[in-house]
Amino acid sequence: MGLTEIYNQYEKYFKGNILPYIKCNNCNYKFYYPRDMCPECGSDNLSIEKSNGNGKIYSYTVSNKNIWAIIEMNEGFKFYANITNSGTVDINKRITITFINKNNKTLPYGEIQD
Amino acid sequence: MISGFAEAVYKKYDKSAYELMNEALSKALDMAGIQRSDIDGFISTFMPGIFDDNVYMHFFTSQICNYLGINVKYMDSMEYGGPSVLAAYYRAEKLIKDGSADNILLLFGGKGSLVKDRKITVDSYEKINDGVTNTPYKSLLNGYDNINPVSDYALAAQRHKKIYRSTDEQRAELAVKQRINANLSGYSMFTGDLTVENVINSPVISDPLHLLEIVYPVDGFHAFIVSKSAGKLRPVKILNYGEAHFTKLPVEMDDITLLSASESSGDFREKIKKCDLYELYDSFTITVMLQLENTGIVERGKSGKFIENTDFKSNGDFPLNTGGGSINRGQPAYMSGSVLLYESLLQLNNMAKNQVKSANRAFINGIGGWSRSHSVSMIIGE
Repeated sequence: MGLTEIYNQYEKYFKGNILPYIKCNNCNYKFYYPRDMCPECGSDNLSIEKSNGNGKIYSYTVSNKNIWAIIEMNEGFKFYANITNSGTVDINKRITITFINKNNKTLPYGEIQD
Repeated sequence: MISGFAEAVYKKYDKSAYELMNEALSKALDMAGIQRSDIDGFISTFMPGIFDDNVYMHFFTSQICNYLGINVKYMDSMEYGGPSVLAAYYRAEKLIKDGSADNILLLFGGKGSLVKDRKITVDSYEKINDGVTNTPYKSLLNGYDNINPVSDYALAAQRHKKIYRSTDEQRAELAVKQRINANLSGYSMFTGDLTVENVINSPVISDPLHLLEIVYPVDGFHAFIVSKSAGKLRPVKILNYGEAHFTKLPVEMDDITLLSASESSGDFREKIKKCDLYELYDSFTITVMLQLENTGIVERGKSGKFIENTDFKSNGDFPLNTGGGSINRGQPAYMSGSVLLYESLLQLNNMAKNQVKSANRAFINGIGGWSRSHSVSMIIGE
């Protein structure tokens, strides 16, 4: 799987409101930021998986009224995203993934579940 | 050994970055008592925007040697961000020892104000130019709202608060104690009375970090000349050295409060505890706290209590950032490494106004680079 293939698949999944991640079929490491090899073991036996969209906030910061967070997904990988609702943000709060299109670009965001 | 050192630092310098670097070099040559023609080695670093607003500078080490009129047989560039100068110092000592050069100029700095005026940092330069890509993951990192690198350290501070129960007041107290040293240093840019309330009531830039616990980008260069002998200066040596590079994105780390400093300091933990003064990278208050914990000076999670209970003055039980640190000196071109080394050399040469008595060993730790990957730990002295 080459990088172009991975990015194309990510874009397709984003448009279908699916959060993708990459699983290494050799060592089982899961990661979000695309490489054509596993950053843990170097294997190129990778597959793109679909996250169930459930996770929690690992850490967050509020700047210019935007919440920037590290989100830890149930599948065991972490990624950066903004949080869409601000009411009761805290570390370990449960979130679900939602998708927003800004400037012709669809990206995943976290939505806090109270 | 360092035979000459100098700084040229301004809040906002009206002239060119090249004139500013020449000022630092001229002062360092004066101290070393050597001529420009004696310089035969050169190490520097480049970051976007810091040399008169250029995004990139083709073959920059060669161009700067050309501008300054120095002819060298060795040149190099360090890419560790803030601690680059410390790693360059270590390499220069080795190059002198193996005979590669006789007098190596370390020239670090630039104009931070031009980048600041664009309301960005060197880390977010790609935001203002669609054609500029700084990472392999731009399409998945760009498009969100954040203010890196402040946001990155804020995420670490927030996590530290949650896991270790550190408080805003403890971080503020560190800023206050560094200001006390700044008021005595004689060369800090930001001086005057400062209280914990002042820090807490200053604007929140990236929650939980406040304006008064964040460095202010300024214009400045530092020049250090490494030679075979220290000349008129004290023969200060690098007694212990370590560097480490955690290149994972913070988001892919298991624990964002665990720094590469835990590895760079690993070989000489006990010696670190016996130093006479401590210069720890202070891009933000949380940076100092994480280094206190990751270099083994205090247990992990205990830096907040340590700040409350410890006197950081030059005559205190733990002289820390005795020049007031970069938070009060200003951060030249988004790199504080030179500020740490400069103050350490003042102290070891008994040239500081806020002088530590019998200063024989200084522990310096620098943190920086893309997503704070790099750490350089060193004890220098005699």
